[in-house]
Amino acid sequence: MSGLFTRALVAVTLASVLSGAAYAADPAAGKSVFQSTCGICHSAQPGANKIGPTLFGVVGRKTGSVPGYTYSPQNLAANLTWDPATLDKYLEAPRATIPGTKMTYAGLKDPAKRADLIAYLETLK
Amino acid sequence: MHPRSSKLFALMALSAAGWMSLHGPARAQPADVHPIPQSLRVEHDETIERLTMLAKRAGPVGAEARAALVVFKRHAAREQEFILPPLTLLPLLADGKVTPDMAWAVTMADRVKAEREQIFEEHTQVTDVLNALVVAATRAHDKDAAEFAEAAAADSLNDIELLEPTVLLIGDYLRARLPAAH
Repeated sequence: MSGLFTRALVAVTLASVLSGAAYAADPAAGKSVFQSTCGICHSAQPGANKIGPTLFGVVGRKTGSVPGYTYSPQNLAANLTWDPATLDKYLEAPRATIPGTKMTYAGLKDPAKRADLIAYLETLK
Repeated sequence: MHPRSSKLFALMALSAAGWMSLHGPARAQPADVHPIPQSLRVEHDETIERLTMLAKRAGPVGAEARAALVVFKRHAAREQEFILPPLTLLPLLADGKVTPDMAWAVTMADRVKAEREQIFEEHTQVTDVLNALVVAATRAHDKDAAEFAEAAAADSLNDIELLEPTVLLIGDYLRARLPAAH
């Protein structure tokens, strides 16, 4: 019984490690995702708001906090911090995470691409 | 021609002209079709014209423009069908005029409210195809096409931020001001 448990534990651990390896984030690939997915609405430059707020410095900042950008009431009230976990959830399904957000994006369903994108966003500081 | 005959002829001509002006356009399109504000019609026409021109190109810019044209035309048709027509009432409503024949706008506003998430989903599709056009245009060093696509995406946000909420307000306002039957 104990042998079976050990083998199961090893299998689960191995799967986790492999899964982690599969999603090792690549900021360079994330930059490409940014350009092909986000670039029409967001800039990566400080202070340069477009249709959406600049994503320079997005990781670690509060929702609705970029000066000079007019947010939706829902985004202003969300009171979230854009840490990697929150970004991952939001980027997967924006309107499910912040109902009423005006970001016209259906979501990035591929977890590896989301990880790459977040890794790139983390470099914007 | 006798002066009386001439007056009679003129009266008949005026009546015919009046009838034509009243009934001519109604015959040209179904009675339940309402126009949209001219400024938005021009905006739609210009976007479609520009996408049509880009769609004729060979290569990635042309391919992305063709994809964008399909999505934008579909969305514009729905906007013209039931999202934007209530906005034609704004000048009258701003003057405090509400008449029972405005009830059609309540029906349209109700549909906008009911289909709001679906309409938003269409905007995400429009943004996606325009984004793809920006990427292709940027790679082709076509600054004009990239700037056009970015401006078109801004128009899409304008719909979400201003036009659709305004239509919902028009519906609520009319419902409150029209007789109870509406």
